[in-house]
Amino acid sequence: MKELQDLARRLLLEGRVDIVIGYQQGPRGVRPSFVTRPEQADALIFDERCVHNLVTYLSPRRAHLAAWPRRAVVVKGCDTRAVAVLLRESHIDREDIVLIGLRCGGVHRSAEASGPLTAESVAFRCADCSIREPELVDHLLGDPRPAPPGNSRLAERIGQLESMSHEQRREFWNNEFSRCIRCHACRQVCPMCYCERCIADKTRPRWIESSAHLRGNTAWNMIRAMHLAGRCVGCGECGRACPVGIPLGLLNRKLAMVVDEHFDYRATDDPEVPGPLGSFRSDDAEEFIV
Amino acid sequence: MARIGVFVCHCGENIARTVDCARVAEALADHPGVEFSTDYKYMCSDPGQSLIKQSMKEHRLDGVVVASCSPHMHEKTFRKAVSAAGLNPFKCEMTNIREHCSWIHEDRAAATEKSTDLVRATVERVKYNQALSPITIPITPRALVIGGGIAGIQAALDIADAGREVVLVEKEPSIGGHMSQLSETFPTMDCSQCILTPRMVDVAQHPRITLHSFSEVDAVDGYIGNFDITIRKKARRVDEDLCNSCGACMQACPTRKIPSEFDAGLGTRTSIYVPFPQAVPNVPVIDEPNCLYLKSLARRRKSKKPARSRKPVCQRCVKACGPKAIDFQQEDRLVTEKVGAIVVATGYRLYDIGREQDEPGISGYGEYGYGKVPDVIDGLQFERLMSASGPTGGELRRPSDGKVPRHVVFLQCIGSRDPAKGMEYCSGICCMYTAKHVLLFKHKVHNGRATVFYMDIRAAGKGYDPFTRQAMEEPGVQYLRGRASELYRDGDVVRVLGVDTLSQEAVDIKADLVVLATAIRPQKGIQDLTRKLSVSVDHHGFMNEAHPKLRPVETATAGVFLAGACQAPRDIPDTVAMASAASSKVLALLSRDELEREPQVALVDTANCSGCFHCERACHYGAIEHEEIKDGQGRLIRVVARVNPGVCQGCGSCVAACLSNCIELQGYTDDQIFASIQAI
Repeated sequence: MKELQDLARRLLLEGRVDIVIGYQQGPRGVRPSFVTRPEQADALIFDERCVHNLVTYLSPRRAHLAAWPRRAVVVKGCDTRAVAVLLRESHIDREDIVLIGLRCGGVHRSAEASGPLTAESVAFRCADCSIREPELVDHLLGDPRPAPPGNSRLAERIGQLESMSHEQRREFWNNEFSRCIRCHACRQVCPMCYCERCIADKTRPRWIESSAHLRGNTAWNMIRAMHLAGRCVGCGECGRACPVGIPLGLLNRKLAMVVDEHFDYRATDDPEVPGPLGSFRSDDAEEFIV
Repeated sequence: MARIGVFVCHCGENIARTVDCARVAEALADHPGVEFSTDYKYMCSDPGQSLIKQSMKEHRLDGVVVASCSPHMHEKTFRKAVSAAGLNPFKCEMTNIREHCSWIHEDRAAATEKSTDLVRATVERVKYNQALSPITIPITPRALVIGGGIAGIQAALDIADAGREVVLVEKEPSIGGHMSQLSETFPTMDCSQCILTPRMVDVAQHPRITLHSFSEVDAVDGYIGNFDITIRKKARRVDEDLCNSCGACMQACPTRKIPSEFDAGLGTRTSIYVPFPQAVPNVPVIDEPNCLYLKSLARRRKSKKPARSRKPVCQRCVKACGPKAIDFQQEDRLVTEKVGAIVVATGYRLYDIGREQDEPGISGYGEYGYGKVPDVIDGLQFERLMSASGPTGGELRRPSDGKVPRHVVFLQCIGSRDPAKGMEYCSGICCMYTAKHVLLFKHKVHNGRATVFYMDIRAAGKGYDPFTRQAMEEPGVQYLRGRASELYRDGDVVRVLGVDTLSQEAVDIKADLVVLATAIRPQKGIQDLTRKLSVSVDHHGFMNEAHPKLRPVETATAGVFLAGACQAPRDIPDTVAMASAASSKVLALLSRDELEREPQVALVDTANCSGCFHCERACHYGAIEHEEIKDGQGRLIRVVARVNPGVCQGCGSCVAACLSNCIELQGYTDDQIFASIQAI
């Protein structure tokens, strides 16, 4: 912990960055912390409650952070994949940011959890974690941690969905989407949702009905999922942010599987790997062309 | 409120047979925004167009919908008429109720209802149509021709003779291409070099042609009218300006046994050489891997030993050269040329039956010993053996022992029309050149015998069929319909086992020489070039024309044209015709100062662009540029995408790729499409 606080303090003192974005203890569990003065650095912590993907604060959409253009951000291995997407999509300059990587042994699904990590409490994305030692970072801190406890609930649920008939699946999602209140928390939390003007906010033409009705709800959630196909890094923040508990992670994970199958692309922490939407290969599957 | 006119065409009986045109016009008359609606028998006819113009004036129309045939057919016609009546042509749209309705349906009532719906959708769309004006872009009045074979030579001369400058790039040390290697040409049997070399000289002496021989196109930037070409001039190591073509260097060169590319490997050359005596430019080139001095330099560099003072290796050419033109220090040089149009004339190469193939999917002929039998040669080698400038001085002597062959077997369709070998297409010229070979052989070896294995005789050109017939009827010539199943060396003959499919008999021939009419394939490296030019190729690597019938010498990339065998196997007459066709297209383009382009190009809404540049990756034409948005003090706020309208082809790939949905195709905007959909 001291290592992290010292580094944050040094980065601020030396003027390398304007802000360090990390985690701190809040009134209810862990919350994001925005450290702009060296003396605030002592508040920074890192433990298995730090589930948030803070890369979303690197997105240029965060206008309230515009006053601090050079940012350091605390990242777990999985979070670096989101950094890679932002780099690939020309949204951040690598020189402008400092990535403080922390060795991670998995996180809870909730920032308010307590006690040790169990198969029950661990976040879905930790199940198949492949980047426990992030490579894209400038600083790598912390002691090596044991592997997170495994769980296969997401895979099981996708398997269940796949075994359903089309009608059953439609009914399942209709049931989920009918609860959507169109608060757009999923969009706000997502590091990849950075459009200057979201399609949901457009009125000429209005692509998506704005009232919280199943028709517009389905359109919104489907369009958002499609916009994330081949870009989503599976951090699961949308599902965590959803106040009515729609399993958005399921939708995105399923699409990621489809993209993998058709275009041999998986979310990666290498910004040089071109995304499937922006690359053309002569061996791309074209079975959709009749 | 909009004032739209609806004009429903009967197209004679074509539409009216299935669609009640009057009913459609009537139904639309009440549609909001429709000021006038009528039907007519032939809307594209002169009275039909007058009807549109007159109604536009009478009813002060601000939009026109013509329900008739495909826009491919008459969009230009009607837009011109609308323009003549004083309205922006892009306020006119067509609804296709012929191909999309009357021709494909039988139920009159349902077809009428569908037509009404379709026209209504277009009316709603036209309400959102914006007045667009053509884009004008300046033109550099010069052309680049890639490839200096007969296609490139013809195209370059045609363009230059018409008064425009031409840059001709040839990758070999001399222009001339395959035609310069041929002995005689079918069907008139005139000597190939005799008709070609004067043209080569014309190219060299033309004041408006800049020739870059031994050069390749390194990079292509820009767009129609404004291409920037980077040309790599490979190190010739002989100064083109100083050299007086005396040939003393070649006399002096001690390395004399290098297989000559020009003689298809049958003759030899020195390591400083001109490919053939009539070469243009007649300046030698030093063959780096074979030159003793350059080899010694490379060896020394590799061993990294300190340079000891010792006698320089060879360099006899340097001593022999009077004007001191040889420069071993010369390196590859990059030059840039600005041009407005490009003609691709890269030609072909012959398929090689060897075991090793350079492309997956193509296989060699194990049954013919993978080309390892010395007296089995291809058509181009036979040409060299027949040619007066060839390695045998025009006497037919076979490669293995130099004897005059008495019985020659010609095998057609080697690789061609053979899906098993990877090339299912017909190479087009082999029937003709094999007939020519037979006649040439009979001319040189009077009592010789020739046997030709063929699949079909395809001789559709002018004077072609009598020519093949002449070959067939020559005494001692036998045409067998069938294929050879095996070739092998048996003592000093080549055994040809095959079958005559007409008599159903197996054939076993002891041949002195076997000539294979091997398939025509695109030039090596064509994929690289087409990528630079953003031109597509078919799965054999032949370049795709924009339209197989109506735009045969154009490509999908504006300003890039095709000539000759880079597009498909072609004989000389077709190649020359194509080259002249391409140059007429080039001249039509270069005869103007400014280019008018259709304004249906993509436009970025910079306020909403998030700058992810997915569009840049999706754009096949390189039309996306980076635009910097700055504030009042000139500080950079963000970088957004911008579409260069000169390059944009209006394909819409970027529109689909845009995550922020902030690119619109002019004339096909979201508003228009949304309105159409809502009307149905």
